[in-house]
Amino acid sequence: MSITRRIFLRNGALAVVGTTALPSFLARAAFGAADQGVRTRRLVVIFQRGAADGLNIVVPHGEPGYYAMRPTINIPKKSVLDLDGFFGLHPAMASFQPLWKQKHLAIVHAAGSPDPTRSHFDAQDFMESGTPGVKVTDDGWLNRALHELSAGQSAPGKSAFRAIALGPSLPRILSGKEPAIAINNLNDFSVGGKNPKAAPIANTFEAMYENSVDTVLHGTGQETFDAVKTLKAADPAHYTPATNANYPRGRFGDSLKQLAQLIKANLGVQVAFADIGGWDHHVNEGGTQGQIANVLGDFSQSIAAFWTDLGDLGEDTVVVTMSEFGRTARENGNRGTDHGHANVMFVLGGPVKGGKVYGRWPGLSEGQLYEGRDLAVTTDFRLVLSEVVSRYLGNKDLKTVFPGFDGESGQFVNFLG
Amino acid sequence: MEMPLRKRRLLLAAALLVTAGLTTQFALGRKKDKLAEAMGMDEQKRAVHALNRLTFGPRPGDVERVTRMGVDKWIELELHPDKIDNSALDARLGPFRTLRMGTKEIVENFPPNPLIKQIADGKAPLPTEPTKRAVYEAQLQRYEDKRERKEDAAKSGAAAGDPQNASGAGNTSSGNDGASVCRDGACPVSGDSTNPADLDQMRRREQRRLANLKTQKLLDLPADERMKEILKMSPEDRQAIATTTKGAKADALMEGMSPQQKETMMALNNPEHVVVNELMQSKMLHAIYSERQLDEVMTDFWFNHFNVFINKGADRYLLTSYERDAIRPHVLGKFADLLVATAKSPAILFYLDNWLSVGPDSEIGLGIAPHRRNRRGYGRNPNNRPSGKRRQASGLNENYGRELMELHTLSVNGGYSQKDVTEVAKVFTGWTLDQPKKGGAFRFEPRMHEPGDKIVLGHRIKQNGGKEGLEVLRLLARNPKTAHFISQKLAMRFVSDDPPATLVDRMAQTFLKKDGDIREVLRTMFKSPEFWSPETYRAKVKTPLEFVVSAARASRAEVEDARALVGTLNNMGMMPYGMMPPTGYSMKADVWVNSSALLGRMNFALGLAAGKIRGVKVDSASLAAGTAAEGPTDPQQALANLEKLLLSGDISKQTHDTISKQLEDPKINQRRLDDPKRPPNVAAITGLILGSPEFQRR
Repeated sequence: MSITRRIFLRNGALAVVGTTALPSFLARAAFGAADQGVRTRRLVVIFQRGAADGLNIVVPHGEPGYYAMRPTINIPKKSVLDLDGFFGLHPAMASFQPLWKQKHLAIVHAAGSPDPTRSHFDAQDFMESGTPGVKVTDDGWLNRALHELSAGQSAPGKSAFRAIALGPSLPRILSGKEPAIAINNLNDFSVGGKNPKAAPIANTFEAMYENSVDTVLHGTGQETFDAVKTLKAADPAHYTPATNANYPRGRFGDSLKQLAQLIKANLGVQVAFADIGGWDHHVNEGGTQGQIANVLGDFSQSIAAFWTDLGDLGEDTVVVTMSEFGRTARENGNRGTDHGHANVMFVLGGPVKGGKVYGRWPGLSEGQLYEGRDLAVTTDFRLVLSEVVSRYLGNKDLKTVFPGFDGESGQFVNFLG
Repeated sequence: MEMPLRKRRLLLAAALLVTAGLTTQFALGRKKDKLAEAMGMDEQKRAVHALNRLTFGPRPGDVERVTRMGVDKWIELELHPDKIDNSALDARLGPFRTLRMGTKEIVENFPPNPLIKQIADGKAPLPTEPTKRAVYEAQLQRYEDKRERKEDAAKSGAAAGDPQNASGAGNTSSGNDGASVCRDGACPVSGDSTNPADLDQMRRREQRRLANLKTQKLLDLPADERMKEILKMSPEDRQAIATTTKGAKADALMEGMSPQQKETMMALNNPEHVVVNELMQSKMLHAIYSERQLDEVMTDFWFNHFNVFINKGADRYLLTSYERDAIRPHVLGKFADLLVATAKSPAILFYLDNWLSVGPDSEIGLGIAPHRRNRRGYGRNPNNRPSGKRRQASGLNENYGRELMELHTLSVNGGYSQKDVTEVAKVFTGWTLDQPKKGGAFRFEPRMHEPGDKIVLGHRIKQNGGKEGLEVLRLLARNPKTAHFISQKLAMRFVSDDPPATLVDRMAQTFLKKDGDIREVLRTMFKSPEFWSPETYRAKVKTPLEFVVSAARASRAEVEDARALVGTLNNMGMMPYGMMPPTGYSMKADVWVNSSALLGRMNFALGLAAGKIRGVKVDSASLAAGTAAEGPTDPQQALANLEKLLLSGDISKQTHDTISKQLEDPKINQRRLDDPKRPPNVAAITGLILGSPEFQRR
């Protein structure tokens, strides 16, 4: 058995490595979070917007129906990166293989929302609000997941970076009463840039928003200026990616690269959100190559680079991926797929019992398909998230995080050790 | 009849406001007594409100102009845009030739890759006209280069080389070594070179060096000679010059050239980019400078409602015509006409994939061979062409059927089922395109159309070929759910994020009674008490587009090049035509109010006022001067003038005091204390006001 980062950490055995100086996370702990005696546990949620085709991502190559249903866009057995003899990864996801082998990466297949909608907009909304079928929920589950934590043992306290979204706007999933900020680009995250002459102007803006009677803008303004100041002090630009962390070019890779910087700068990130689009392949989806291969390459390489980049900090990080629904089991007339139902979720992290595909596989035969056309949902996405929120983040108040959901800890998938 | 009603309304409004204690909020720059102010909508305030809602924001002088004309009369004029002269805007758009071209013409002048490939394969001739030919040759050159690079990479067995990586990797040491092997901008592919990426890099470096020399020579020539010289060059040289000249050097090279010559220069580098760039710039110019502002707001509204993402393949070439020919003519007309125009538009047919949807039991779906005499008609769609390797397209595509009901008409709660989606998809089979990547037009292809009757929302649609689609569109256009959904969205744009149900219901009634007449629905809204209620005044948070455009309008910005404005919107998450999903951009505050966005707005405000936005000029000094001939020397006076001009005086005491205090801060004010005659920093004041909380609302 190889010595994984996890074993090293669990044994707390500095001497085992003992080559260089103090591991960075311990050094950090000594200066920061050590005060509270706990390390910050982080949850990173990644949304694949546009309904990713789970059946071509974690391929059920042992399922006889699969190849018949997808004559031109299937992933041939010889190309699949086999996981357990029945499922295999799309070949564009080779960078996930080491994570699987080290047992940091778990998969939950046939997971999804019980709501039957096939509207991107509604389904994304439901997955972000955490209340399928209920449209009036006005905050997101990731924001609610912080409620209990802020009162209790929350290590980072009131950090402005406690809840962040990478992107130009704050997504539904993070909106709510807990302060959360959106960051598009760390370099632009200030008033007037690095020019010292801009300082008085920045101060004036700050005072202006602080004193404003406009409740909406006042609140956001305050969060913003807190964050700007913290960021300036921490100077995350200083944390360049680790040598082996090769982020692909593009928005998603940039998002995760910047997120890693924030985490490494010890800014108290507790929950974070990033998204990646380009999954809605109604036409010419492609198989081992083509549209889906391209976006999967971007997706998996970015996440793998992020994991590498985090180094020891991965021990205190869980990454969960989701997409609003899956796609039809059969390909359509345009070598693509239409909107379907269940999908696949990835869970990656230090405390994850990886190297296993979890969830009950519902099968692809005519009678097993949802409405005769789509992969059926056998694991409610909220059950997966509940396990992370309660067991890992430590928020036991699941009734608030997922109101109306009766998933109990007894039903958990148990992918967390 | 209107007077008593209004009086009652005003009294109610006054009572509401007094109890809410809001009278203290707007304390500055107003002469009338506070109670009258609180009653909210005197004629001047009504003018500000109307301008904030019906336009992309008032320009200096607009409030006075509308007040003089009478607000109601002005609204009526805006509802009839053809009566408003717009020649100044037309003049600004003059240089953008693609805006006046049909799609085919755009494709011909600015060839996309499939067309270039065809020529490279010898399947189509090069154009003879010299300018056009130059553009084509440059693209051919680029195409061949790319193919060569690919082959090189394949030969050496290198892992999928990304040419972008290769070019970006480094030009740190532009060495003389190796330069001698290359002549005329192209290095021969020598056998001894081990790494094609290195070789490629060397070749590019050399190309750049030679191109720089040539560019220098060109710069010494007068503009007209310059173009002639470029056309005389070999395609390689021309392409090298086009690709290596960027930023200020490119500007210098194009200085003094005619608009068409400039277009050609840009097309040498990337023809597709010219098309996209002209459309995006024109969007900004329309919004900022059109005198027909309501018309423009509605164009933006309807484009967003029938959203198409510009970066989906052929849509880069299709959106120019889409906005101009499918959207604009109907923005104040009948909803049904708008619906039909979008349904038939190549942009939508391509974006929502309907052009590929084939009835499973249609002739093509069943693989029935065409009659000989029909062959010419259908053979042009590459998907219908029987081909050895490709499996015949044979299936329904539900994408359009679903979005038509969910987003264009009934709304997601509109009571349709999955079965309805499938049936509507069948109805629209055969609504297709001839070669969208070459600018092909809409046509109905009976051989793709699903035979038989269809049942949509409980209505039987009799088998009737291409006319079935029209019947379904009519059915959807006059459905009460549609009337409600459209009214709701309009009220969200013009009244509030959560508009009163009573107003939406009345608008929906008008919609149904007047056969979906959009002008009538708007009139119902503009005459409603809800529209004029005091709590709507400056209550809508501006979207990034509304913010950027309103700032440019308020500051009388002179936009020579709108590319930087487009870039600003991109950074703020609202690139023109850049919304990928069909939902379009949100109109609600919560989406657009967040840290990144707020910082983006403050920085843009400062940059705009200081003249640091490339291609955009703002004269803060003359703004601060107000009506006086010369700018004020007193900073407080400048502040007062600018508050009046940029915000019609609607600035809170808190914001005013904050800026005012800064102006008096001796640390900041030192230079002025040393030199009392030195004019105040009006650019900073302008930037602070444009970035203030008050300016974020309309």
